Amino acid sequence: MTPKRVRDFRFDSCGLIVLAPLLAAPFATANPLYFSLTNQIVVGVIASLAVYIMLRMNLLSFTVPTFMAVGGYTAAMISTHGVTNLLVLLAGAFVMPVLIAVPLGVLVLRLKGVYFIFFTFILNEVTQVMLFETPDLTGGSNGISGIPPVTFFGIPLGQQNYLVLVTVITGIVAAAATLAVTQRFRAEFAAIDENETLAESVGVAVWKYRTIGFVASAGVAGLGGFAIVNQLSTAHPSEFTSFSAINYVAYAFVGGKGTMLGSVVGATLLILMSNYFSSQGAYASALFGLLLMSVVMAAPGGIVGEIRQFFEKRSQARRGSAK
Amino acid sequence: MNDHARSSSMKLRVENLTKRFGGLQVFQNISFDVEPGRVVGVIGPNGAGKTTLINVICGMLSPSGGKVWLGDTDISGKPFHITSRLGLLRSFQQTNTFRAASVEENLHRARLFSRERPGPEVNLDVLLEEFGLDRHLDDRSDSLPYGQQKMLGLLLALAPKPKFLLLDEPAAGLERKERTRVDRFVQYARDTLGCAAVIVEHDMDLVRRLCPHILVLEAGRLLAEGTPADVLSRQEVMDAYLGADAE
Repeated sequence: MTPKRVRDFRFDSCGLIVLAPLLAAPFATANPLYFSLTNQIVVGVIASLAVYIMLRMNLLSFTVPTFMAVGGYTAAMISTHGVTNLLVLLAGAFVMPVLIAVPLGVLVLRLKGVYFIFFTFILNEVTQVMLFETPDLTGGSNGISGIPPVTFFGIPLGQQNYLVLVTVITGIVAAAATLAVTQRFRAEFAAIDENETLAESVGVAVWKYRTIGFVASAGVAGLGGFAIVNQLSTAHPSEFTSFSAINYVAYAFVGGKGTMLGSVVGATLLILMSNYFSSQGAYASALFGLLLMSVVMAAPGGIVGEIRQFFEKRSQARRGSAK
Repeated sequence: MNDHARSSSMKLRVENLTKRFGGLQVFQNISFDVEPGRVVGVIGPNGAGKTTLINVICGMLSPSGGKVWLGDTDISGKPFHITSRLGLLRSFQQTNTFRAASVEENLHRARLFSRERPGPEVNLDVLLEEFGLDRHLDDRSDSLPYGQQKMLGLLLALAPKPKFLLLDEPAAGLERKERTRVDRFVQYARDTLGCAAVIVEHDMDLVRRLCPHILVLEAGRLLAEGTPADVLSRQEVMDAYLGADAE
């Protein structure tokens, strides 16, 4: 591997590694606030990773809530039919969005630039309508409630701390899947991101890798949907609104869209600050907006992106002086 | 017949190639052959359709009519990445590199994406040294001076072991002294790799030096073809470049 690919892999691996200590969180405290924050952050990280996969190919996609809904509702339907094994539910929440993403990707990925962005945003509205208007399948405005607790080979994981544990495990699985895909196709994704025409001219089938990324992003988002449904024991359309997509995109950009670590940092920072600002009453939204603008203006490459750029410039300067 | 023998016996054949954008006819019924290891120049005034011709041959654009053959394979209208994998590589008028990647990473990617092609990797060390890129292997490609970015763009077309190169104004934007690097590049591709090339270029000195055979495009038609000495002395070619006397 070239030094750049090694560096990129390290930053991405950090995004997975920093999630591991959260496995201890459910057992280190009984404070419901920390449980709630851990849940929110991990779900935010998963959703942001789904955005990150697409950004690796310079595609801004707002489809995350749609695929979260597909994954979440799939897990809910499987559970209510009596299958509560964690591994089965994770597999279902990943595979169903993947199956839907394949034909959808063939259709959507033909679109370029703003048309692609617009379509992916509108898709969430279509999904909302479908969730509300197909009550026989999705429960309509009531959603699917009374979902039995997840089990792991017979052990029920319905207690509050176990619910958090399942969320963290789901986050780690999602991060591992993201790392596996981005590492396997790192060169192709980077080539498409940096110069799509040149990539194609040296033999990269751009459509193929975009489809792979789109499908992987859908699967990862589906895991996020499962994490939400598992926490709430309910699958409801209000958890998968179009507006939430903007938050997930903001997490990726604020943290730094070039690395998995950026998604983790961005989601953690913005969710913590959002919770902090919520205590400021009427000013909460304004403060959150101010924070977003400040970070984007001060660090256009995102927090991790700026740090990485600083170290890259420093090492380039060192090489220059050595010559 | 082994792969090497088969590839070396392949020729690029363009038959009655036509391209229209709606009602605009860019060129029509262009036909020519490029034998393996030969270098053919394509010249003509601005707007003659030279770059569009390259775009259609390599698959970036679909032809409105006619055929492009690579050996026995009809590649007309095939996707860009497929023609590339078949050994037809192109360069671009502007600098064209993977911007955020180092020089080494750029070359690594170009080789990686052509990994399915048999045979040893192309050794570009000599050219990297001659173009002064060997000192910048770890530097981001977009931090290089224009001329070196341009030469890196050419090397990216050579790294995947092409059989045919389509070079779109390889000397554009280069200083006069840098243009000899293009000569060196083409000679290396032809002599060391047995690679044929079609060169679209405005620099007539470079065309004379590199191309034993040239085609002249004018307003979307093939005006003349032959040796540089013959073609460039023809009155209709001079008229196309300098403008025909109205009388």
